[in-house]
Amino acid sequence: MSNTSAYVKEAPLVKGNHTFSSITALVGDIVEKPTPLWWYIAFGISNLVMAMMFVMVGWLIWEGTGVWGLNNTVAWGWAIINFVWWVGIGHAGTLISAILFLFRQGWRTAINRFAEAMTIFAVMCAGLFPAIHVGRIWVIYWVFPLPNQMQMWPNFNSPLLWDVFAVSTYFTVSLLFWYVGLVPDFATLRDRVKNKLAAKIYGICSLGWTGGNRQWQHYEKSYLILAGLATPLVLSVHTIVSFDFAVSIIPGWHTTIFPPYFVAGAIFSGFAMVMTLMLIARKIYGLKDIMTDDHMEKMNIIILVTGWMVGFAYIMEFFIAWYGGVEYEKFAFVNRAIGPYAWAYWIMMSCNVIAPNFFWFKKMRRSVTVSFILSIVVNIGMWFERFVITVTSLAQDFIPGSWAYYSPTYVDVLTYVGTFGFFFTNFLLFLRFMPMVAIAEIKMVMPQADVHNYDENGELLEDKH
Amino acid sequence: MSKESTQENKKLFGMLAEFANPAKLMKAAKLTNKAGYTKYDAYSPFPIHGMDDAMSLKESKLGWIVLSHGLVGFTGGLALQIWTNSIAYPINIGGRPFMNLPAYVPVTFELTVLLAAFGAVFGMFFLNNMPRHNNPLFNSKNFERATDDKFFICIEADDSNFSEEKTEAFLKEAGAVTIEKVYD
Amino acid sequence: MANIKLTDSLEFPDSASPMRLLISVGVVGVIASLVGVVVNTEQFLFSYLFSFSFFISIALASMFLVMVHHITRSSWGVTLRRIPETFSSYIWVFVLLFLPILFGMETLYSWTQEQYSWFYEGLREHKSPYLNTTFFIIRNVIYFSIWSYLGYSLYKYSIKMDETGDWGIDTTLRKISAPGIFFFAFTLAFASFDWIMSLNFDWFSTMFGVYFFAMSFQALFAILILMSLYLRRQGLLLNTITRSHIRDLGGWLFGFSVFYAYIAFSQFFLIYYANISEEILYYTARFEGNWEILAFIFLFGRFIIPFILLLPKKSKSNYKLLFAVSTLIVFSHLVEFYWLVMPPLHSSFSFHWLDLATFLAFAGIFMGMFFYFFKRQSMIPKNDPKLQESLSKH
Repeated sequence: MSNTSAYVKEAPLVKGNHTFSSITALVGDIVEKPTPLWWYIAFGISNLVMAMMFVMVGWLIWEGTGVWGLNNTVAWGWAIINFVWWVGIGHAGTLISAILFLFRQGWRTAINRFAEAMTIFAVMCAGLFPAIHVGRIWVIYWVFPLPNQMQMWPNFNSPLLWDVFAVSTYFTVSLLFWYVGLVPDFATLRDRVKNKLAAKIYGICSLGWTGGNRQWQHYEKSYLILAGLATPLVLSVHTIVSFDFAVSIIPGWHTTIFPPYFVAGAIFSGFAMVMTLMLIARKIYGLKDIMTDDHMEKMNIIILVTGWMVGFAYIMEFFIAWYGGVEYEKFAFVNRAIGPYAWAYWIMMSCNVIAPNFFWFKKMRRSVTVSFILSIVVNIGMWFERFVITVTSLAQDFIPGSWAYYSPTYVDVLTYVGTFGFFFTNFLLFLRFMPMVAIAEIKMVMPQADVHNYDENGELLEDKH
Repeated sequence: MSKESTQENKKLFGMLAEFANPAKLMKAAKLTNKAGYTKYDAYSPFPIHGMDDAMSLKESKLGWIVLSHGLVGFTGGLALQIWTNSIAYPINIGGRPFMNLPAYVPVTFELTVLLAAFGAVFGMFFLNNMPRHNNPLFNSKNFERATDDKFFICIEADDSNFSEEKTEAFLKEAGAVTIEKVYD
Repeated sequence: MANIKLTDSLEFPDSASPMRLLISVGVVGVIASLVGVVVNTEQFLFSYLFSFSFFISIALASMFLVMVHHITRSSWGVTLRRIPETFSSYIWVFVLLFLPILFGMETLYSWTQEQYSWFYEGLREHKSPYLNTTFFIIRNVIYFSIWSYLGYSLYKYSIKMDETGDWGIDTTLRKISAPGIFFFAFTLAFASFDWIMSLNFDWFSTMFGVYFFAMSFQALFAILILMSLYLRRQGLLLNTITRSHIRDLGGWLFGFSVFYAYIAFSQFFLIYYANISEEILYYTARFEGNWEILAFIFLFGRFIIPFILLLPKKSKSNYKLLFAVSTLIVFSHLVEFYWLVMPPLHSSFSFHWLDLATFLAFAGIFMGMFFYFFKRQSMIPKNDPKLQESLSKH
């Protein structure tokens, strides 16, 4: 180890020579300026794709789950895979807004707003699948403990019911958290936009926020408590999703590392998705001063770390499957690696465990192209992880006579593709009408905001400009 | 009728003073607090660390609201599951006990968090008097920049120490850039 | 930002050192343990493994904390860092302390013996490519070399920065820490399989390494609080390790108590719920014969009571409360290891004087080493680039 390495100073969170008002302008102008043409085009395409999703869902409800590729042994197919994938993506938003907040990572402010938006839309996409996969969607309300004439209650021993509570709580709390963060920024827009109607709408959304310290005091407390609540919540949600699999005794599903492993995987894929969206957004909107290359580097480090957590879990599972000496368990894992779905397994392995290793190198971490490509690779890999877990564990079950190869139908595929339309429709609306960066929070991490950076006469110290 | 005379008919809400930066605002807030004013507030586009102490604000009560909501969620969630699955409609699920407490942990946890989060958000709205859209401060054109890059202190006319001349002089002394009267 | 000067003396004075006490405790413990070897070898070995696990878990968790601290470029704990640095600097000592376990392997680990029970039929043979004496030794050599190297170099470079004031060493430390954490994760997991999980070699849990880590990391924060309070009590570093540093430690302790509970509950719950014989026997053995009393002690001692007490913001800077909670957590950590290690030896709970003897021996050695090294260097990394930021923390 060389002792001659130079000390590397930490980069400032906001680049360029920004003042408070130029930050307001940078973010506020995006909302105020006329809608760009590309937005209409993108919105149009997203709408069409979303429409396709509704058609597919309609067809499913009309015809029944037979339109999907499910077979005798594989009773959980793409619907569950997509559910876990989307809900996992959502987790990065909460991680950024809550966990990094508690860890006092100031750099989160640049990306937390749209990561949270991503969370909400991703959870909406996720929630669709369990709702439609029940087959008889018109009695979906049976999952709620509502008094009824049959005098029946839902079974609270069932992990699927825990899911109902976990995902709906998660959605609600994320939405509230997001909204609380938005309130001061809505007030900024209220005071800024020229359009009377827009000012009225932002005014209503801002609930009469004044920015008085007596408000900020409760506001900050509320934000801190919400972060403290959202942190265990996000762990619990993916833990409960993992319970869907792990409380069973299906070989390949029942393994104790599932809870932390699912959470790590969720954060892994979610960060990759935030990266994809961030790189596009900062390019289009010229936000490089706020979402700097240092942000990119930090996120890539998190992707590397969580990627290896997932890799750690793969290795532990494989080792224990052998070590445990249970023959069904052994078969399930060997079958994953060399069985009929080996192609999926190796896609998963190369995307999730091998690909992120590029990020050991600083140059790669700071390269926009590499980051962009790898962020997509990781999400492909994480989709396949859920595919491997769900399908390979079921397809070759205890009775070899019932083994059958599982393939999706066009309805499976188009529903999944359609959710992207749903996601991007929402996301584009968000980019167009809401402040996509947390304006107040960005100002808070600027050196001008800290009263310690001023001298006795209230002038900014020289080196803090 | 001229603008001036309209304002005379209106009730004076308070004296709004603008300050250049967070440090000056903090200093002025300290002085205001020391001068014995109680009905005042310091307005800024972002929360300023140390301002609570400068204004001698008491610790926020929000924690208690959240705690009580969380406890309701916890007991309610547990009671719901015990009642429905262990008492009202017990089913044998793979030979597990009817009172399967470990299995009730996930939902109890979720409901605790859900209710506590309601407490944190709506409790904050309640403490902050939100929503309130008719704030007299919004009558000041200059105040629009309180959410952008300006810093204000408003001493309200209801304050027992308030007098138009003295308060104005006090704020000037405290380093205000501009001072204006805000009417309701 | 106004520069804050270090106003405290950074030398650890002889008067504050509990060395004399530690030596006497250690000597009593060692002598009693040696008597135990002769009187009841089997009991001695299990007691020894239990004390060994407890103390090495603290050293390993310390090492992890130091590495994480470096790679996240944290400033909050700079003034505290020398304590975990010192704990992990002498992991090499555990190489010697591991020898009794190696010599007693055949008594401790039933996989070294032929099994006649129908239940284990073929299992031992199946696992023998991994669970055999030679490979066990090789693995432990690997673990200890990696840890000794990491622990020692993290300490050495940090000391070097004290002496030279060269901030470039900060980069070096980060370059050690990043791959260090990688190797740490795997070695820790497999070490926990080898030392503790394989005591019941029929049992397996993929989460066991994570569980071992979660236990240790929580206990570490309790230990750090106790150490900081000890220094304060001696009137040392009063303006360097401030109320706000201890408050942070309280916050971490709270957070990792929840994390521990999450991991421990998940492991228990998945096995409880699935209820299949390969796994559940591990827990049934530990929920009968009064062992369940221990389980409840640590359930309350390291989760429920600390959770309730540490929840209010104020309690995190209440020294008396922090002291009580930390002591409770350290004690529960001890109880949990006892609960993990001892049931293969005794089917019902019974305390043996050797448990105390080996614990005292380890306490004397481990803490004695700590104060020996701690005294030789300044008590904080005095030339760290982040020191200013840490000092002015509020």
